[in-house]
Amino acid sequence: MNQLANPVEVLGIDAGGTMTDTFFVRADGEFVVGKAQSNINESQAVLESSRDALAHWDRTVEDVYPEMVTCVFSGTAMLNRVVGRKGLRTGLIVSKGFEDFHRMGRAIQSYLGYAFEDRIHLNTHRYDEPLVHIKDTRGVTERVDSMGNVVVPVRLHEAREAARELIGQGCKAIVISLLSSYLNEAHEKAVRDVCREVAREMGVEIPVFASVDYYPVRKESHRTNTTILEAYAAEPSRATLGTISDSMKEVGGRFDLRVMASHGGTISWKAKELARSLVSGPIGGVIGAKFLGEKLGYENIACSDIGGTSFDMALITKNNFAIHKDGDMARLVLSLPLVAMDTIGAGAGSFVRIDPHANAIKLGPDSAGYKVGTCWPDGGINTVSVTDCHIILGYLNPDNFLGGILQLDVERARQEIKKQIADPLGLSVEDAAAGVIELLDLSLRQHLRAMITGKGYSPSDFVCFSYGGGGPVHAYGYTKGLGFKETIVPAWAAGFSAFGCATADFEYRYDKSVDIGITDESSAEDVATATATLQAAWDELRGKVLEEFRINGFKDEEVTLTPGYSMQYLGQLNDLEIDSPLPVLAGAQDWDKLVDSFNDTYARVYADAARSPELGYGITGAIMRGSVVTKKPNIPVEPEAGPEPSAESHLGTRPFYYEKKWVEANIYKMELLKPGNEIKGPAVIESDATTYVVPPGFETFLDVNRLFHLIEC
Amino acid sequence: MSTYTKKQVSDLVKGDLDWDTLHRMLSMPKDKERYSHYISVLQEQVDWDDRIILPLGPHLFLAETGEDKSLVTKCECGYEYGDYQKNWKLNALIYVRDSEEKMQQVYPKLMAPDTGWQVYREYYCPSCGTMHDVEAPTPWYPVIHDFQPDLKAFFDWLDLPAPVNA
Repeated sequence: MNQLANPVEVLGIDAGGTMTDTFFVRADGEFVVGKAQSNINESQAVLESSRDALAHWDRTVEDVYPEMVTCVFSGTAMLNRVVGRKGLRTGLIVSKGFEDFHRMGRAIQSYLGYAFEDRIHLNTHRYDEPLVHIKDTRGVTERVDSMGNVVVPVRLHEAREAARELIGQGCKAIVISLLSSYLNEAHEKAVRDVCREVAREMGVEIPVFASVDYYPVRKESHRTNTTILEAYAAEPSRATLGTISDSMKEVGGRFDLRVMASHGGTISWKAKELARSLVSGPIGGVIGAKFLGEKLGYENIACSDIGGTSFDMALITKNNFAIHKDGDMARLVLSLPLVAMDTIGAGAGSFVRIDPHANAIKLGPDSAGYKVGTCWPDGGINTVSVTDCHIILGYLNPDNFLGGILQLDVERARQEIKKQIADPLGLSVEDAAAGVIELLDLSLRQHLRAMITGKGYSPSDFVCFSYGGGGPVHAYGYTKGLGFKETIVPAWAAGFSAFGCATADFEYRYDKSVDIGITDESSAEDVATATATLQAAWDELRGKVLEEFRINGFKDEEVTLTPGYSMQYLGQLNDLEIDSPLPVLAGAQDWDKLVDSFNDTYARVYADAARSPELGYGITGAIMRGSVVTKKPNIPVEPEAGPEPSAESHLGTRPFYYEKKWVEANIYKMELLKPGNEIKGPAVIESDATTYVVPPGFETFLDVNRLFHLIEC
Repeated sequence: MSTYTKKQVSDLVKGDLDWDTLHRMLSMPKDKERYSHYISVLQEQVDWDDRIILPLGPHLFLAETGEDKSLVTKCECGYEYGDYQKNWKLNALIYVRDSEEKMQQVYPKLMAPDTGWQVYREYYCPSCGTMHDVEAPTPWYPVIHDFQPDLKAFFDWLDLPAPVNA
């Protein structure tokens, strides 16, 4: 097919801590994956990775970038800025008497992100440095009560003094977060205007962030942390993204760079609320799985992503993923909507140690990361990793690790496993290494099962998608015996997160807390007030969403708006997010429709019998999502080539250790397999970026969309 | 199995160890060399040659004397408090804060306990004046014997020969 008729249209980028992946998709759905070592200069890594990818098509960056229509970026630079406390010096103004709450933090922040053992042991708990130093914090006398009434009027002369001091001592931004401001914004806005005035008088230009302008939601710590992040980390990151965008323009790119955001949509790098792009990497995979599911007819999907350091799981039910409203990231509680995921700190590169007291194998929680394991002498690692075990058992090809970039020393890995694991346990090297892999698979399997059954589902209702660099290696192990409908490994598993980013909608989402409660005893007037409150919140949020799109040059009529709300039975703790059945609420007569929609969703998510309408209904939050049409990747469709893999795809055989014996596994080249090809285990299917293991007792076939289906015989 | 250098253990004792390493030390099973590293770091802190068996505080140790291998509680300065099985506090200098006036030397007014209910007893080395411990008991309560190590069991865990007089 000629290049003009089949241009490269979509680019997804996943700039991780170790590797920067790029995923290019052509109009016909064909794709290439590129990899480059991540770099402090992110735009350079992106271009290098692009060159690596496009080389597969014999094309150049300068040639391809001008023909692309969409590009989505996800990266960890902003996260690193927060974790390393290298943000912009920010001043904080709070209600007087509450100056210490930010540095005290919520107790949960002392153990967020920890392994289970460290969460339950107090001596490992630790509070990170606050984002804003106490010396850069000021209190202003004022008080709004929990109903939104002004109890103490705001003393603006104090705000003036505070702003002058903060700017005077070198703060580059000011954040304002007052008690209960989500119920009454007057004080915060007045303080905000005073700060701007003072900055003008002092002749400096600094941004001022009032929490109500960004996150008018309950929970002080969450709201304050998130607003601080806008000033502290998002503003500097905007500059970085601007540089990447510029470097793409230099090579001819004419698309608008978008960033993956925690709520599962993508936003412009010019977005007002940029803090939500803090976390994005693992979310891409979930979005990609949902996209594939919608196209190919899988509505319930268990997503599983194994990278070098962690195992991330998420559930898609009836083509929807759940949103966690107060996500946490970088050990901070935040008011950001976050695609709900479960993560455990065990991955393909986890360290393996012996607990000398229990004499048992212990995995992680730390991992070798990009240093691989003892099998890579240049990495300087002396502790055995899971990868070492895979190498000596024939699962991975030591000569083709990451496409042969790294030369691995199998003998060194064998010696280290013998010394550190096998000898202390009195096992052969093979049995010790197989034990490690079995333990990892078992632990992943238990977590996967717990996540599904814990929500009241059965694995038999789900198709399991397995991706990430380590997914295809472990897919058989952690799905074995769970009873999934099917286990699917995309041929582009290693670039799946980058692919997922490219499939995400261009979507903004704004949230606002509301307090609505309606029972049997409520009057018609109460109901009318309730609908009016919700509609007023939607109106406010709609303005914000449309403003974001205007920044990117979209007209209001191009934006599809989806209002939503969080509803719960009064007295219950958890709410559900519902897309509103009505675009606009005209009055009390519409209330029942909101309730019906909630009841239906509740029955679908839990069960009919679990519904509790007698409790009455509460609405806790208003949501507004707006999206515009974007170009998404096409999924490849290739002709069937029959069950027999071609001769050139068969690379030979290799000894492979499984269930206490060595067998000869057939080795295939993934890129050369054709749809319809069937392969019986033991087999190992290799590609540059990942390895797909099919042990004895399993078989697999490749379908027309380049998805491998793993079947337990 | 994680292993640590003597430098890292020395930083641990001084309180200078970076958090990531400290966190790993806290979370992971102890390495085999920890006891010997730890003791040798402590040994370098003191001017005397008696062998340190255990630390009892930042400046207080359980040590094996060179002459007769008896086990004594010993201050960093070399002062000996006698047999390790006896309460060393009985041989220390004791200062009792048992009045409002004495409490106000260490806490602001109304921020300290009522000395009718609770007193502070401070234990100092008679030789160098180091404060080794503070108790906060009711006024009539006997001197508290904090800790009586079971050395035989401890050395059994370490898989090392126990001191002859343990």
